[in-house]
Amino acid sequence: MQTFFILLCLALMICSAAAVMMFRSLIKATVCLAITSVLISIVLFLLGAYWAALFELSVCAGLITVVFISTISFFSKERRSEEQERDHHSRFRLLPYLMVVCGLALLALLVLSGFSMQSIPALPPAFAEFKQILWSNRQVDILAQIALILAGSFAVIVLFKEINTNDENKGA
Amino acid sequence: MPQNLISATATAVFIVGPLLAILINNLLPRTLAQKICLKVGIAATLLQIAAVCSCVWLFFANSSYHISFSVFWNMSAQPGAARFYVDFLSLTVMLAIGLVSLVSLLTANESIKDKALNFSNLLMICMIGMNGLVMVNDLFSLYIFLEITGIAAFVLIALLREERGLEGAFKYLAMSAIASVFLLASLALIFMETGDLHFANVAALLSSPAQASQPLLLMIASLFFITAFSIKAAMVPFHGWLPDAYQSAPAAVSVLLGGIVTKAAGVYAIIRVLSGAFSGVLAGVFSHVQNVHVVFAILGLVSILYGAIAAIGQRDMKRMLAYSSISQMGYIVLGAATGSVIGLVGAALHFFNHATFKGTLFVNAAALEKQTGSTDLEVLPCGLQARMPLTAISSMLAFFSTAGIPPLAGFWSKFLIILAVWQSGSPLMAGLALLASIITAAYFLRIQRKVFFGQPDDSSNEITEVKGSLALAEWLLSIITVGCGLLFPALLLLMQSKGLF
Repeated sequence: MQTFFILLCLALMICSAAAVMMFRSLIKATVCLAITSVLISIVLFLLGAYWAALFELSVCAGLITVVFISTISFFSKERRSEEQERDHHSRFRLLPYLMVVCGLALLALLVLSGFSMQSIPALPPAFAEFKQILWSNRQVDILAQIALILAGSFAVIVLFKEINTNDENKGA
Repeated sequence: MPQNLISATATAVFIVGPLLAILINNLLPRTLAQKICLKVGIAATLLQIAAVCSCVWLFFANSSYHISFSVFWNMSAQPGAARFYVDFLSLTVMLAIGLVSLVSLLTANESIKDKALNFSNLLMICMIGMNGLVMVNDLFSLYIFLEITGIAAFVLIALLREERGLEGAFKYLAMSAIASVFLLASLALIFMETGDLHFANVAALLSSPAQASQPLLLMIASLFFITAFSIKAAMVPFHGWLPDAYQSAPAAVSVLLGGIVTKAAGVYAIIRVLSGAFSGVLAGVFSHVQNVHVVFAILGLVSILYGAIAAIGQRDMKRMLAYSSISQMGYIVLGAATGSVIGLVGAALHFFNHATFKGTLFVNAAALEKQTGSTDLEVLPCGLQARMPLTAISSMLAFFSTAGIPPLAGFWSKFLIILAVWQSGSPLMAGLALLASIITAAYFLRIQRKVFFGQPDDSSNEITEVKGSLALAEWLLSIITVGCGLLFPALLLLMQSKGLF
């Protein structure tokens, strides 16, 4: 039964990920992205990776969505006509079929390789404590996360902040 | 050796140093920060170069040629935890990172003054990413630092927000994202099979793939891994993004990309996973998988030949240098793919040499662009040797070093690589690599003849030699190219006498 739920969530996750690509509206795409993250969190929770599920839910589904929507509300002034919307949908009309074909191919590959959920190794007991994982085993990644957040922040500043300033100047 | 002190210092200099530079730049008032940000960056790069030299001295003084350490707030991390690891290979790469970043900052001082603050911040982040991926011994940490480097590089290419730059950045981003997907998929499969991502533990399993419960998954993981790093290293046929990215980036960013970023993000990882490097302590993930070696050797050779031949037909200097980089990175991968000690030493030396001579050539391109307004070989005036003697001489030294002319630095590394390929039983591959070296000399002589040699025409009357930080960068890199060429034999003998290989 659990395997069925996991597969169901994965299928829904693929659909919502495809919807991210297909929506022209950035807000709608962001909401679909958040749904994708929520579904990943459920899969992680079902597989027993509680801390990963928690982080996926809080950071990817929560924080990232808030940042995206804030950024879009600051910068997005674009309005599309219905014709442009139709054009956009027609460009991505093959995407769902392509994803189904890829999904079936991957499934076939997994079946051929003898994959089963039981083959995933359990985390060793020594790694079970979250505090220990974060501060003792993955401490290098904490520094990396700081740098990653800085990289993202400067990317937004360089690529978007000054565009906004220029737009305001033109408006004046 | 005071292990904790060295560990803390190394973490502080290589990771926290650039973070501190970002902090200083952004806490100061904006007008003051705009004035001093490049100097703060230069201080961070000089500190890195000094720290690398100190580590080399400590290694020789203590006859201990590697050090493994954790972040300074927890030195006693569990064995098997993600930790930093430094040996001679990492130090060589970190020296190249410090040097090329320094030269890039010197170039920026002349070319992108109004965006200096953003440039300095992003360069420091890029340094953190490259230093991190050079020092980690865990595949997941390697992936995170790769992403940091990739994001910073992508924004740097688009820094001026011109149409060409944005297009180049988009291509780089798209290819980088595809590489990331392959890499993550590969890591997921490896983790499924081994339950671990530590280099040594994964290497132990891959050394006997027959014992693996699902060998097909391991094969797919290897395939994804090769694809991911071939895209990152711009190996043929995954090279399409590189010429556009190099050509469209601002001059200082081209120096950084061409000098170090592509090599650190792609080629270094290939060297590291193919071999245990010098000390033999840090096991190469795929060091026991023969097929992976063969695939990389073929990709390396095809890149050498394709890059050299494609460079001949280019009329933009930066684009020609981009194709030349594809060719030179092929040499590094070919050397590493032999799996022999000579091949690895040759690859490591060529890594450093490529950073210096390609750095020089991109600085020369920046100098020509600044003084003449173009890097198009059909537009550039003839006979610039009389007007820009320093640029002409440094360009000639770098070209000769790239082509492997003795006694310049490039000769020794190419010699070792070709020797290793020959010894590994592939005389045809060695011969083709040598042939590509001759082609390299041919296309570089074309630039020299077209731009620098010959009678100066009237259009070049107003042109003068570059001064200030660009001239300093040309001097610095030329001295290193010649100096390394003269010192390499002694250095190799010293390393051999210490039992390093």
